[in-house]
Amino acid sequence: MDKKPAWLKVSYNQEAVEEIAHLMRDLNLNTVCREANCPNIGECYRKHTATFMILGSRCTRNCRFCNVRCGLPDEVDPEEPQNVARAAKALRLKHAVVTSVTRDDLPDGGALHFANVVRAIREACPETTVEVLIPDLKGDERSLDAVLAARPDVLNHNIETVRELYAAVRPEAVYERSLGVLRYCKQSRPDILTKTGFMVGLGETDVEIGRLMDDVLATGCDILTIGQYLRPSPEHAELKRYAAPEDFERYRGAALQKGFKYVASAPLARSSYRAHEALEAVRAESGRPS
Amino acid sequence: MKQQILMPKLRPGMEKGVLCSWSVRPGERVEKGDVLFEVETDKVVSQIESNLSGVVSGFLADEGDEVAVGEPVATLETER
Repeated sequence: MDKKPAWLKVSYNQEAVEEIAHLMRDLNLNTVCREANCPNIGECYRKHTATFMILGSRCTRNCRFCNVRCGLPDEVDPEEPQNVARAAKALRLKHAVVTSVTRDDLPDGGALHFANVVRAIREACPETTVEVLIPDLKGDERSLDAVLAARPDVLNHNIETVRELYAAVRPEAVYERSLGVLRYCKQSRPDILTKTGFMVGLGETDVEIGRLMDDVLATGCDILTIGQYLRPSPEHAELKRYAAPEDFERYRGAALQKGFKYVASAPLARSSYRAHEALEAVRAESGRPS
Repeated sequence: MKQQILMPKLRPGMEKGVLCSWSVRPGERVEKGDVLFEVETDKVVSQIESNLSGVVSGFLADEGDEVAVGEPVATLETER
């Protein structure tokens, strides 16, 4: 195991983690916090926040950076929208983040299910803001329309890495398609904030990162997250470097200078980490209530 | 009452963890929420917090030891 830099330390409280884990198990729900082995699970679960992962726990794609298991997908649980809403209510979430495994086996990629989850949360918790972190849905506009029709507050789709590394890191995805998802969503519903994120540490250069920021910004994207790639196991994509906190500050400054409305950039920043802060900051900036 | 502090399961599928350092010493009083020790996993170093208050009565693992999930690493003398 490589030596971890001093800034990659997190707190872990077993009691807090088990409390949320029990709630999720009782409601037959998955979280990406658990399935992706997120380093922030201790902090987020202690604060009673979690990111729901709907549509099962097995992904139909096998991205080389991701810890979520690839395999034969589960049956879609028709109770899941109501169960997510129940959990959001039990946790008194101010902001609910909902993501999913990629479901290339479903005709709409799970878009309608996403929409049903958003609507169920809205009904059970009218004060709660909702963010969806969607897969690319193969770039299908009808599927994207179905998600947008549920009017999430934030539409997040991660670009994950620079164009140059897609073949090695995200072989079943297409850089242009992911940009297209962000562009289409912003053009269709300018009132919905769009958001994306990428990792550093996979071998990308600063020039490539700069181009990625330009490409993403050109879609009209509002919020950007930048975090350190952490290799889940020796079978995953190789970790090329640990970027220092100063590097993340530099990326944040560059992205803000280019015109993003909000940038979260830190070694342990993840797309849903403190997501409510990003939404509140952008809404405060634009004078809209959160 | 003597209580055992166990190696936690930090992620699904974790079977063992490397106890990379102790944050307390035998005889030291700890409060619930204090960091007891650090465990290195594939991604990060996790600082394991105590679920109990009491006095550390002994270590059952050394720094650098690989310990199976659920095995005791220390004992804590609590008031109840």
